[in-house]
Amino acid sequence: MDVTWYVVLSAVLFAIGAGGVLIRRSPLVILLCLELMLNAGNLALVAFSRAHGNEEGQVFALIVMVVAACEVVVGLGLIVAMFRRRLPLNVDEMRGLRG
Amino acid sequence: MTFHAPHIDYAGLSPVIALTAGICAVLVGGVFSARRQRLVVSVLSLTTVAVAAGLCIWQWGEREDLVAGALRLDELGLAGALIAILAAAVVIPLSWREPAAERPGSEPRHGEFQALLLSSVLGMVLLAQAQNLVVLFVSLELLSVPLYVLCGSAVRRTQSLESGLKYLIVGSLGSATLLYGLAFIYGGSGSTDFTTIRDAVGSGLTDDPLVLIGIALAATGLAFKISIAPFHQWTPDVYEGAPTPVTAFMAVATKAAAFCVFVRFFEVALGPAVDNWQPALAVLAAVSIVVGNIGALGQSSLKRLLGYSGVAQAGYMLVGIVCASALGVNALVFYLAAYTLMNLAAFAVIVVRERESGYGDGIKAFEGLGRDRPDLAWPLTIAMLALAGLPATAGFMGKLYLIEAAVDADYTWLGVAIAIGTMISLAYYLRVVAAVWMRPAAEPLAPEGAGMPAMAGGSPEADPLPSLAAATAAPRPGTRCLAILVPAWLMAGATIFFGVLPSPLVDWASHAGGALTPFLA
Amino acid sequence: MIQVMLWMPVAVGLLCFAAPRRAVPILAVAGSAAVLGLAIAVVAGFDTAEPGLQQTVNESWIPDLGVRYQLGVDGISLFLLSLTAVLWTAATVFSALRTPERRRIYFFMLGLGETAALGAFLAQDLLLFVLFFDLMLVPFWFLIGAFGGENRIAATTKMIVYTLVGSLLMLVAAIATAILASDQVGHLSFSLADLSAHTVSTSSQYWIFCFFAAAFLIKMPAVLVHGWLPDAYKAAPLPVLVLLSGVLSKVGAYGFLRVALPLFPQAVVHFQELILVIGVGGILYGSIMAFTQTNVRLIAGYSSIAQLGFITIGIFSLRPDGADGAVLQMVNHGLVVGAIFLVVALLWERTGTEDLVRLGGMAFRAPVLAALFLIVTLATLAMPGSANFIGEFYILIGVFQSKIVYSFVAAIGVVLAAFYAIRLFQRSMHNRKPDGIASSELSLRDVAVLAPLVACIVGLALYPGLILGRSDAAVKDKIAATCPRLPAGKPQPGWTGYAPIPVPDRCSSGHPEISVIK
Repeated sequence: MDVTWYVVLSAVLFAIGAGGVLIRRSPLVILLCLELMLNAGNLALVAFSRAHGNEEGQVFALIVMVVAACEVVVGLGLIVAMFRRRLPLNVDEMRGLRG
Repeated sequence: MTFHAPHIDYAGLSPVIALTAGICAVLVGGVFSARRQRLVVSVLSLTTVAVAAGLCIWQWGEREDLVAGALRLDELGLAGALIAILAAAVVIPLSWREPAAERPGSEPRHGEFQALLLSSVLGMVLLAQAQNLVVLFVSLELLSVPLYVLCGSAVRRTQSLESGLKYLIVGSLGSATLLYGLAFIYGGSGSTDFTTIRDAVGSGLTDDPLVLIGIALAATGLAFKISIAPFHQWTPDVYEGAPTPVTAFMAVATKAAAFCVFVRFFEVALGPAVDNWQPALAVLAAVSIVVGNIGALGQSSLKRLLGYSGVAQAGYMLVGIVCASALGVNALVFYLAAYTLMNLAAFAVIVVRERESGYGDGIKAFEGLGRDRPDLAWPLTIAMLALAGLPATAGFMGKLYLIEAAVDADYTWLGVAIAIGTMISLAYYLRVVAAVWMRPAAEPLAPEGAGMPAMAGGSPEADPLPSLAAATAAPRPGTRCLAILVPAWLMAGATIFFGVLPSPLVDWASHAGGALTPFLA
Repeated sequence: MIQVMLWMPVAVGLLCFAAPRRAVPILAVAGSAAVLGLAIAVVAGFDTAEPGLQQTVNESWIPDLGVRYQLGVDGISLFLLSLTAVLWTAATVFSALRTPERRRIYFFMLGLGETAALGAFLAQDLLLFVLFFDLMLVPFWFLIGAFGGENRIAATTKMIVYTLVGSLLMLVAAIATAILASDQVGHLSFSLADLSAHTVSTSSQYWIFCFFAAAFLIKMPAVLVHGWLPDAYKAAPLPVLVLLSGVLSKVGAYGFLRVALPLFPQAVVHFQELILVIGVGGILYGSIMAFTQTNVRLIAGYSSIAQLGFITIGIFSLRPDGADGAVLQMVNHGLVVGAIFLVVALLWERTGTEDLVRLGGMAFRAPVLAALFLIVTLATLAMPGSANFIGEFYILIGVFQSKIVYSFVAAIGVVLAAFYAIRLFQRSMHNRKPDGIASSELSLRDVAVLAPLVACIVGLALYPGLILGRSDAAVKDKIAATCPRLPAGKPQPGWTGYAPIPVPDRCSSGHPEISVIK
């Protein structure tokens, strides 16, 4: 099987993730979509790594997973803080900053 | 079987090691209680920063690969590191009051705050030296993640949380795009090392679709980080909402480090494909100059204004990369340094002023400043005039350098774009200076009881204890905050000094730019 | 010496911050007087026979960018420097007698402005010139914005935006010039000497010249780009206006002579007609507007447009006589307009108005003021016998030789000048004294400011050769760059070559200049 299929799949995942970030309103779902985008990157890295026959891409993918976890932790922390302040968890209603 | 330990150049890595040790020490310093903590932590973090700066200067002039080629020790990376460290050194005193305890009795958070700041600096130092896709991505995240937290660190204020979350979402979107781009570049070239990629791209991959898609996505991702239009929408919001010292740090240091890696990535790894990315980046630079300057025109909050102005300035600096010449890189480094000086001076004044006036960071807060507080008015004035690029300031020299590089690289129209952008920008920079010197002071708002926020954009209903907050956060007007004034004056003085005698900074910048000369045509 | 002269004002300005409050005006006056002394010393030490630069300074400044710190004096800048020093001293003394509030910043900004103006006249490096040219704006923006009258912030912002539009494009153009010429020079150099020895290709000259011309024309201001003038003139404090109108406007005209002519000769010849049209348009427009205004400041302001129109066409006649006249006229106009604005300030102090309709009858009680003002007025309308007459006459001769049509149109301007100048004098000094206007004589201190200016005007009228004799060699040198395109060998009608005007002639007959044209 050609590497192209994996790349196409990753592109589809990336597009779904990016679309979700742009459309969805809940910060939780947006975080989820960001994960999807990062994982699309991971899939592409692993596929290319296999295609090239070297392991750099695999190492990269592992490290990306760690980084993604960090991001989620911080994101969830912020969301919890907002929840405890009883702020609306809806990015459309975050209008304190604009102009 | 004998074990061969890999060779590690500890001297080259010393700034990174010093920062890491400093972060640990600062975290431990967090165990002290209230008053003592502030002192101990500040001293620890300032020492760390000073040691790291000293080590950077010690290593100045060395050129070698570190950690199996993952990092590149050269003047460009050290220049970026020094700028980030300078920014941190100014921001640490600025933020002395920032992470105050929410209410009496709860834990003070100076330790966490400074440790996060230092980890961000560590990310910047690594990023400026990154010579590998993996290191690029990881250090970019190491830079960003602490900043997300710092943006949201004023938990008391809705706007701070909001800006933290916004920055997180947009920043992660940028990172994900960058990662996807890096994956494609890896897919096209089969390596994550800059020099290997350069060889691969140079040997007939300049028009490879994988590499081209990768370049486009990676440029987009980096453009998010340095807030190049049209990927800049988050900038003014986040700048306004974040605590002002954090904004100052973000505005200056992130840009410096990200531009260093931008220039290294594009000129070194993607250098052979210059004909493909050069026109695209040129358009981005022009769009950024126009959008940033026009956006800043109608702003009434000084932090937002500086946010938009940062977009425009990023556009100017991108011109240095577009030139793809030694002169362009030198001009970029020079401008980064000048930009750091003038922005830090401006933000330091904002930090003081928003505490003592009732208007937060609105331009109204600065009316009549020249009469009441000349010690604050002068640094702000110098910073604004320098950002506007008026002569006898480092800003003028920076623009001169950039325009010269642009004209030299046959991008005269970009030089004209810089000139036109500067004209537009005068309208808003001078509005600030006019408010400072030419208008009577605005009616002072009663800091307590009136329900007005003592901090930028704090919302009264969200403040659990407004009177207490005002009492702790607002010293009486006229208080001399020496820890802030001294850096502000130093930065402003340096802005003027390098405007009158630019040679030392020019030499420094051309040393830094010289690190890339072998890769430039 | 010129270095001391250049940096003294700003140094004194900085000292003002350290000095005790009461000493600030004295310090500022002493500083400006010292600069004036140095300027006189430079004039005294000037070697008349030498066409090139004197007292040159040439230091490395930013080697990586090819910018050098090059200063020098030649016949053209010599008297503009003196003019700057004279007017600055007058303005400083005048302000010091009325100590404004926030005096430290006021005098610091005056000093900074003087340094910038002197720097623009002294600079022999293109980029240094641009730098000082731009730097001049900052103090004036401050002075108008912080110390001006009604609507000052809008007016001053308008002024700086207008002028910087020109000068930032000039920055790009200057850099482009140096980079385009670097192939021939061998290295990146902004030195005017290098650049005029190796001019860039004709097609590049065209657009570069346009950028430079835009900057200079806006600064003067010429007609079409004079939009900032009425507002800024109405808002500026009067001592500042003396400088704005007397010195800053000259920098634009000086720029044409110093930069545009030697560096872009082909472009200058190409655009000669266009600039002449703008100049003549300025003469007519300025004269007519000056005639219709009733605000005294605006009359003087629009008359400046007309006068600078004369100066422009003098330079762009591309004949030595025209340019000689232009140089003389620059100094004349600076002195005259400075004196007018000081008189306006005095009138305002006496009457509280600057409106001609409400002025009148000042001469009854203030004969000295009226007499001084009469001399200034007569000089403004270029009465035969005044140095302005000689300047305009030379300019017209120059234009007559190159483009005869324009000289006829421009001559109308001389007539119109008589109209508005006499109207200004009559309405303010004679006529019936309206109620509620106090007319009182000059105080001795104000005489001390105004009289020397008038003395300079009279002195130049008696001995214009002081300027002409020294500027001639340098002017010929600048004009020579555009000469290859002149019809060579064609005898110039009725002109036997230039000679400085002998003094005895001037005093004995009403029209001594005619004797020069044999």
